[in-house]
Amino acid sequence: MIQLFHITKSFEGAFALTDISLKIDKGEFLFITGPSGAGKSTLLNIIFGSEQPTEGQIILDGRNYFKIPRSEVAILRRRIGFVFQDFKLLPARTVFDNVALSLKVMGVGPREVRNRVLRMLSFVKLQHRANFKAMSLSGGEQQRVAIARALVKEPAIILADEPTGNLDPALSIETLELFKEVNSRGTTVVVASHDKNLIERFGRRVVRLEDGRLASDGR
Amino acid sequence: MAGSLKGANIFYIFSDAVRSIRENLATTVLTALTLGFSLSIFAVFVFVFFNMRSVINSWGDRTQIVAYVLDSTEAPQAMRDAIMRVPGVSSAEFVSREKALGELKEELKGHEAILEGVDENPLPASFEIRVAGSYKDPAVLTTVAERLKAIPWVEDVQYSREWVEKLSAFFRFIELVALFIGVFLAGATIFIISNTIRLTVYARREEIEIMSLVGASDSFIRVPFFIEGVLQGIIGGLLALAILAGGRLLLLSKIPPYFSFVVSSPVPVPLLALILVGTGVVMGVAGCLISMGRFLKA
Repeated sequence: MIQLFHITKSFEGAFALTDISLKIDKGEFLFITGPSGAGKSTLLNIIFGSEQPTEGQIILDGRNYFKIPRSEVAILRRRIGFVFQDFKLLPARTVFDNVALSLKVMGVGPREVRNRVLRMLSFVKLQHRANFKAMSLSGGEQQRVAIARALVKEPAIILADEPTGNLDPALSIETLELFKEVNSRGTTVVVASHDKNLIERFGRRVVRLEDGRLASDGR
Repeated sequence: MAGSLKGANIFYIFSDAVRSIRENLATTVLTALTLGFSLSIFAVFVFVFFNMRSVINSWGDRTQIVAYVLDSTEAPQAMRDAIMRVPGVSSAEFVSREKALGELKEELKGHEAILEGVDENPLPASFEIRVAGSYKDPAVLTTVAERLKAIPWVEDVQYSREWVEKLSAFFRFIELVALFIGVFLAGATIFIISNTIRLTVYARREEIEIMSLVGASDSFIRVPFFIEGVLQGIIGGLLALAILAGGRLLLLSKIPPYFSFVVSSPVPVPLLALILVGTGVVMGVAGCLISMGRFLKA
């Protein structure tokens, strides 16, 4: 489903990623870990198409890209649910509107949008906050809105960048259980996290990055 | 552009545009105000320029050559036809000896004594002749005058070459100054409007980025801004019209009536409204789309 070949990314001569080759199968659940600055976010962004690799190729759904062409980025993004480290919510819009946005851009009809968004909000235990503005929510609540927005479109792939960074341990486990459930329905899940305990608890494939290089890949 | 616009999309785009105008009411009003004031300032300049030009043109259209004719057997109509055949002459008006005397008496009203003792009419008949566009090219006037002089029954030709040359130079100077001010004003207007729009779009760059990150096509993001640009343009154009109308009324009561031509519209008011609103819409939309283009490419 996702294949990376010799991906290198440099910023003004400094290497963020060096020669990363990785194969992620359809329906897989994968952790990407490593210390801060190891290149976890950059790797997710390259798969998402919001950053372009300096070198290397990507195969996504059997299509080979060097750089993902701009005309395909929007279509690609509708198939990927991305949970951003900084949430990227529209602060002045309500929780409902934020989650609904990812369905609206796909052209889903208003009634279906309403049903799916409300169902997703109760799934992340935020139904009572539906009409609150995103900026009035706590960090943990905002993170769950971001997760709801990524999941509501039932994407083929979930990419999550430190999705438990603002959550207490109990809620972190709940969130990952959420991902596990989505994964059990066939969605490919890639989670970047440096929370060792959490990763060990879930016992999935772990790709470890160090200084932008692939340090290990296994369980 | 990625993705076609389906029915549900069009519904969302329009409700989005309405919502975003509500949310950004202050900036929408600010942009419309900037558009309105900038356009009205530029329009005032255009008004004054065109009105001044038509006045100067009318000066130039006045009689430029007087040809005095001998008492001859020629009928006035035949003489007039001969004069009209001279290239460059646009009109010729016959002034008979009697009419000339009458005009002189009119001018000397109150000093009739001067004419006492004048038994016979001493004035010759003449033609008042206008030359097309002569105020722009004094050389044409000279050529015409010389041709007229060559006609046997023309006794003398009078024209003020100096005056025409001065008028011509003055007109060229005014046009040059106006061109300079016009270019400067147009530049300033575009600069102010594009900067205001750039700032309002910049304030919403996060929204543009997030829309794009969740998979919105470029058109999905652009259309609400486009609609806002159109709306701001319409409001701005109408505002400019209102400012101009209000300013004109205010001025008319302050300036002498013979000067009021300066503030009259050189084009019919509906056309003026169309031009102002059209310019406003074009600037509003172009400003929005150009500013957004940079965020979308990023």
